[in-house]
Amino acid sequence: MSTLSVLSPVGFPPKVTAKGLAPSLDALDGRLLFLVDVGFENSDHFMVQVQRWLAEHRPELRTEIVRWRNQHEPDPELSARIKAEGDAALLGVGL
Amino acid sequence: MHADAFARLVDSVLRVNGVPRARRAFVPTPVMGRTPEELRGYVEGDDPVRGRPFMDVVLEALLEPIPPEDVRDVEFDRSQEALVEGASEEALQALFRENGWTDFLPVVLPTRERVDAMLAGTSHPPDEVVGKLQATKYRELWEFTVEKVAVNAVMAGAGPEHLPVILALASSGITARQSSTSSMASMVVVNGPIARELGMNSGIGALGPYNHANAVIGRAYGLLSQNLQGGSVPTISYMGCQGNPMTYASPTFAENEELSPWAPYHTSRGFSPEDSTVGIFEVWGNVWSEGLREHWEDKVKAMLAGIDPFLGVVLVVSPIAAREFVNVGFDTRESLIDWIAENVRVPARRYWNHYAAQTFVREDALNGIEPFASYLHAGPDELVPLFPREKIEVLVVGGETNAQWSAFIGSRLDPRYWAPGVQTTVSVDAWR
Repeated sequence: MSTLSVLSPVGFPPKVTAKGLAPSLDALDGRLLFLVDVGFENSDHFMVQVQRWLAEHRPELRTEIVRWRNQHEPDPELSARIKAEGDAALLGVGL
Repeated sequence: MHADAFARLVDSVLRVNGVPRARRAFVPTPVMGRTPEELRGYVEGDDPVRGRPFMDVVLEALLEPIPPEDVRDVEFDRSQEALVEGASEEALQALFRENGWTDFLPVVLPTRERVDAMLAGTSHPPDEVVGKLQATKYRELWEFTVEKVAVNAVMAGAGPEHLPVILALASSGITARQSSTSSMASMVVVNGPIARELGMNSGIGALGPYNHANAVIGRAYGLLSQNLQGGSVPTISYMGCQGNPMTYASPTFAENEELSPWAPYHTSRGFSPEDSTVGIFEVWGNVWSEGLREHWEDKVKAMLAGIDPFLGVVLVVSPIAAREFVNVGFDTRESLIDWIAENVRVPARRYWNHYAAQTFVREDALNGIEPFASYLHAGPDELVPLFPREKIEVLVVGGETNAQWSAFIGSRLDPRYWAPGVQTTVSVDAWR
């Protein structure tokens, strides 16, 4: 049976390089966890609730809420600070 | 941490950004508008995607050892086949629909012959790279050539004479299939000689389905956007809450330069009247009015006062209404824009009680950008300007059957939220 052939309308995707993940923590005791508010509505208030829960249930873990400067752009200053001073980071709340 | 309505999108965005195995946890949707007590309930409740306590998922993500394959960098290619085959036209139409390559209306199948005929509409070679598109700034940029744009132009029913306009739209870097949860659409105004050459409608019914060039250029812009950016699929690469009926057409029309009392729109964007251009606006909906009457100032203020400050406004004014604006003192479009920027004000409490104002304008305010930083400190009843000047546009479109004018919610795209190089007004002549 003959077939019809047409051109694909799809563009050219980029080659994606997968990035390795940071290693996980071996313990929480004494570690500093950054809670990163990425700036969507109410994510600042959500982070406060996460921080309170951790203070009550994991008091051995230190936390600090920080704000991502612009949700649409990298924040190299904040990333550098987290890398230098922190042990891990939670980002949220993403839509 | 994400809202659960975005679970599939999160998987997709992480994959295309090279971190497919990044740890993630979900709370119920929505987060916006919830009280502190409700947010505490989210934290203490289950992750609705995993079906386990949210904070258990979070702590596991922090503590569970990461397998060696997840800490290695790897590269993978996502290239596609150039040709698509099917047993019949019906089978190919179905395949195009199933692949998400259409607007769910029949398309003209892009055979080699039809695409070659389309390519005669430009002097540019088929393999020339036109640009890149993405569904949002969070997603990867896909690249495309003149031939790929021609394929989508064929599908939309366009002819080679329309191709330079369609290429100009494609080269803008602005997609007509943005995945924003707010369900935005794109609207296009064509200025200059090309509008007359193509017989575009700038008069009666210009915004409706009454002209071949208006219709096929707008449809081509939509199809090429979804296909050349790598898709527009609900829950994966499209998240518009309700969708927007204007995305079917990406309303495309010519400005009525002949009957406008003001200089053509594109001259306000740095082009000469002899240049041919496309101007692109992001729009959400519109409010209708007819004529300027005794209390027109109050009416304009009331019409615009409910719009989210981040979105802006495009006044689309018929020639009769434009002359009425001239009669009350606006002898240029810029003077009308200035009046709106100065006089349309809302109480600060209402200014900040909008979703996009909270998400985007507040971010500018917290970063110290004026005048928004000052608005944060305004008293709740203090009147603050609703739109900065750059969020207000005026176009003259339509016939002379009445003095209709519309306030389209929207404006030119804010380039800060897109990849570098996007253009909101683009030369068509460069693509002839």
